[in-house]
Amino acid sequence: MASFTLTPVEKGIMRCRHTGELSHEDVQTLASFLHDYRGKLLIDLTDITGEECGRHIHQFAPMMPTAAIFGAELDPGVLDFPDSYYTHQVKLFDTEAEALAWLREQ
Amino acid sequence: MSTQIALDTFVAETGGWVAAQLEACTRCGICAEACHFYQATGNPDFAPVWKIEVLRKAYEQRMTPGGKLKTAFHIEKKIDDQELLDWSKIVYEACTVCNKCSMACPMGIDLGPLIHNVRTGLAAAGLVPADLAAAVQKQLDEGSPLGVTDDVFADRIDWVQDDWDVDIPIDKEGSDTMVVFSSIEIMKFPENLADIARILNTAGENWTLSSKGREVVNFGFYEGSPEHTALFLQKLVDAATELKVKKIVVTECGHAYDALRWTAANLIDVPKELEITHIVALMDKFVSEGKIKLKKGAFDGSGGIAFHDACKIQRRGGHIEEPRRLLNILAPESFRELTPNKEQAICCGGGGGVIAIKEADPYRFAVFGLKIDQAKVAGADTVVMACSNCRLQFLDGIQHYGSELKIKGLSNMVAEAMEGAN
Repeated sequence: MASFTLTPVEKGIMRCRHTGELSHEDVQTLASFLHDYRGKLLIDLTDITGEECGRHIHQFAPMMPTAAIFGAELDPGVLDFPDSYYTHQVKLFDTEAEALAWLREQ
Repeated sequence: MSTQIALDTFVAETGGWVAAQLEACTRCGICAEACHFYQATGNPDFAPVWKIEVLRKAYEQRMTPGGKLKTAFHIEKKIDDQELLDWSKIVYEACTVCNKCSMACPMGIDLGPLIHNVRTGLAAAGLVPADLAAAVQKQLDEGSPLGVTDDVFADRIDWVQDDWDVDIPIDKEGSDTMVVFSSIEIMKFPENLADIARILNTAGENWTLSSKGREVVNFGFYEGSPEHTALFLQKLVDAATELKVKKIVVTECGHAYDALRWTAANLIDVPKELEITHIVALMDKFVSEGKIKLKKGAFDGSGGIAFHDACKIQRRGGHIEEPRRLLNILAPESFRELTPNKEQAICCGGGGGVIAIKEADPYRFAVFGLKIDQAKVAGADTVVMACSNCRLQFLDGIQHYGSELKIKGLSNMVAEAMEGAN
């Protein structure tokens, strides 16, 4: 079973909830999803620790659409990626409400 | 001041070939109908004949008696700063240097290189759009226009090796082949790295990446600066020489392929024995030599599949039949052609650095509407391509138009359909 779930939050926003350490298959599936998905992303890390997902968040960030992350303590450095015309804004939030409010404004 | 520098550069660039091309132009305007920016917007400023008008004016006013008389008697005004600024917008924001216009010209004028010459003059005068100039500066400062520094490159390759479970050799001296990816692939399409590595490993290719020549994108070529273009090309050739490879394979990047395959030889010393080719040609060769086997019809049954011909890989590079041979194995029942296609194909609208210029978004999206229409007419549900810059433009474009079109990289399809992959 995959260590993440994808569920719609509302029109144009999808929740990506991580439930455990990502397997190689999960990483490849997520990469493929990020290419095909055209909305915004609410990344919910409440079920895992920042240590478990920090590396993957860091690597996926340049591939993400506009995304708001909440639910785990992450080193802000994981979102240090080169800013360019192909990237979108990815931000960390303390709570789901804050993350969602910001996403709706984007 | 900038006008003077631009004009001096135009004149310096105007040798016999350029003068002959400018003299041969009858200004019939047929090239306009070939230009996707003109087709999509109807703006006469975007006609290729107008894009080179500044070069013609400079040539005429500086080099011909008629032109000198016209300016002396104020029949024609001299080129000024404002005029050059207007041309900067036209040739950088509404031209991908796709060179389809040259296919339409009844006089056989090669308009693309002439438009590139206009860019060269504007670059010398410091009139490159800010976004593009910033990317060039980043490539000068960090070695990458999109931020693929030494650390980012190493980190990214580690991640791909771990999570896609594939071996990617780096700096392996004595390899036959050095593979160079575009920064877009490294940052946005990391599965390209994994899939191309898997294809090369399965075929038994003795290959390597280079940490010194780690990416092939050349923003100096986009801006039209021969000095910057040469500088970025030299890094690749030096890396290949250091690793003693026989061949450089450019992956899914069109402009970079043009720069390395043809322009390099005119700007720097490229060892004669160093072969430069594109991944599409290599994959086709692997299949024809039986080095990789593809599952026939692996992508049939999920709707129509069309191939988007990239200007620099197909029209300029001539790799027209290779992707079709591959697709006729991968999806013989579902493959269909967009119209027009092959060397007459319509550019995606994002090439030539246009995608990197925010102010050009309205033009590139207008142009992309033509691609959506093409796909609809062909009954294509998926469009495949072998250029990651086109792919990025397609992804942006389908989002802009809310289209359901699916986008695929050819290398990804080949890797997915490969039997007995390593």
